[in-house]
Amino acid sequence: METRIIKKDTLIGIVKNLSEDMMVYAPVREEDNVLFKILEKGMEPLIEFDNTKNAPKNFFFPQTETMMRYLKNERGEKLTQVPEEAQDAVLFGVRPCDARSFVLLDNVFNDPKYRDPYYVDRREKTTVISMACVEPPYTTCFCTSVDGHPFSTEGVDISLVDLGDQFLAEFLTSKGEALLAKMGDLPKADDASIAKKEALSGAAAEKIRSKVPGRAIKPWLDENFEHPFWDTIHQSCLACGTCTYLCPTCHCFDITDETKKEDGKRIRSWDSCMYWLFTMETSGHNPRPSQKERWRQRLMHKFKYFVDNYDAIACVGCGRCVMYCPVNIDIRKIVQDISKL
Amino acid sequence: MPVDVEKIVTEVSTKDIKTFRFTFVNKEDEEQFKYLPGQFAELSIFGKGESPIGIASSPTQPGYIEFTVQKAGVVTSELHSMEEGARMGVRGPLGNTWPIDYLEGKNVVVVGGGFAFTTLRSLINYMLHEENRSKFGKITVVYGARDPGLLIYKDELQLWEKRDDIDLNVTVDKGDETWTGREGFVPAVCKEVAPSSENAVAVICGPPVMIRFTLPEFFNLGFSKENIYTSLEMRMKCGIGKCGRCNVGSKYVCKDGPVFSLAELDTLTKEY
Repeated sequence: METRIIKKDTLIGIVKNLSEDMMVYAPVREEDNVLFKILEKGMEPLIEFDNTKNAPKNFFFPQTETMMRYLKNERGEKLTQVPEEAQDAVLFGVRPCDARSFVLLDNVFNDPKYRDPYYVDRREKTTVISMACVEPPYTTCFCTSVDGHPFSTEGVDISLVDLGDQFLAEFLTSKGEALLAKMGDLPKADDASIAKKEALSGAAAEKIRSKVPGRAIKPWLDENFEHPFWDTIHQSCLACGTCTYLCPTCHCFDITDETKKEDGKRIRSWDSCMYWLFTMETSGHNPRPSQKERWRQRLMHKFKYFVDNYDAIACVGCGRCVMYCPVNIDIRKIVQDISKL
Repeated sequence: MPVDVEKIVTEVSTKDIKTFRFTFVNKEDEEQFKYLPGQFAELSIFGKGESPIGIASSPTQPGYIEFTVQKAGVVTSELHSMEEGARMGVRGPLGNTWPIDYLEGKNVVVVGGGFAFTTLRSLINYMLHEENRSKFGKITVVYGARDPGLLIYKDELQLWEKRDDIDLNVTVDKGDETWTGREGFVPAVCKEVAPSSENAVAVICGPPVMIRFTLPEFFNLGFSKENIYTSLEMRMKCGIGKCGRCNVGSKYVCKDGPVFSLAELDTLTKEY
């Protein structure tokens, strides 16, 4: 692993340089929000920000994507195009919680039996540069409760740590090292900088006050699919789906066809377990008929089913669902309440 | 995989259940489409979408694949309006299979109700095939429909009836003036036929009400939950365990199922 130093005032230039050569996604300010955007000519990436409003999963698993195009007329139907190959890209400024979500999503989309070619292609061609949370940005952050850490490097190719006057850059993977060549001459990190990073890392974890017994509720979930507690959490839910759309790990999708005259496309779009139509069958039967079952599904999927299947909690503790829920449903409180049952 | 609709058979008097025979446009696709009874595939019609349907033919019938489809939603309605010679798509095979290896060397009891007989028909044809018949013990079939007009695969039932290596029991809830066969509900017929549970496995597929009343009969006959298999249905999109809607507990019906033993189902949540 190469460990280098990047001067604070040169980082923006380095990222802008990369964007001349390849696609760079980076956090930018747009009105009141910080969002991941494609860095176009003249745009500058933010290097000081809290976190983006949108999770970066959409660069690997877009909100909508065309899986194939077809031609349909009286003579029949024909496949006309499958998607082009992904381009080399850099995803800059990812918070460690969001980077961990890629590793979790890999379990689903890069499953050895059924590999998702659309996702895997983009994932393989994208280099992830993270920005460690020296100052965890929100009171809703709880990564340390779900196996994460504000300095986690899971899912990261190059990790950046803000040491105050400069950045410590760790080139963790071969993809990361390949990018080093394009970043100009960066001095090797000295021991003092590395020691400083270690100290900041410990301090950052201490600063995360929100504690949730993420793993500890699993035995209760194993035993209590039927329990009066499930009658309580969904009561105020509007079924808007915001939590699932902002969630870095939610991966449910729908597949639909759109045809205009002869041309058509088969599209994959994000879907949400919060919607009644999600499991509605043609016969009229719905195995999850009310918001109660749908909420149970969401919680069970994150804290039990995913753990059963992949030994990982499908939550990275980013806190987006807590911050943006219009009726203030707080998944941390639900987990805490369960732990008291 | 592109396929051509080679043959369409209207199975029932209400005309809303048809069997579609597809041939592969590309020879390589046919070789790739290796399946066993119990699996399903996504039938694809561009502009309408995909629909997951159990495979009704048996791999012992090479050259084509068959699906028996009820007209219900967008895709299946379009399918029902199609004519022989039309071209469409098939994506699969998907899911697990009836436990063929486990059934070998055992007596097999097949119980089907209504139009849920499709992958059971695949299994029966598979077991009856000359290369396979000796691998299985006694084959007992109980198949029921509401009335004679709703029995599917009528020609095949007649062929099976003539064979002495399968004990076929066809029943209807209520017969009509032409019906000379058995009358009675599937659970009652199972009780009457009383297949032995000795070295036997039951494979049951049908409407929930039939399954609910049939299971106690099999428990009475001494079948354990490990030796009763069924197949589940859920709304699906991807069919490969990614789109997130067909899970029952931590299992996905599309990828870990659709075939489960009752013992396995007992370990899962009751959300289907």
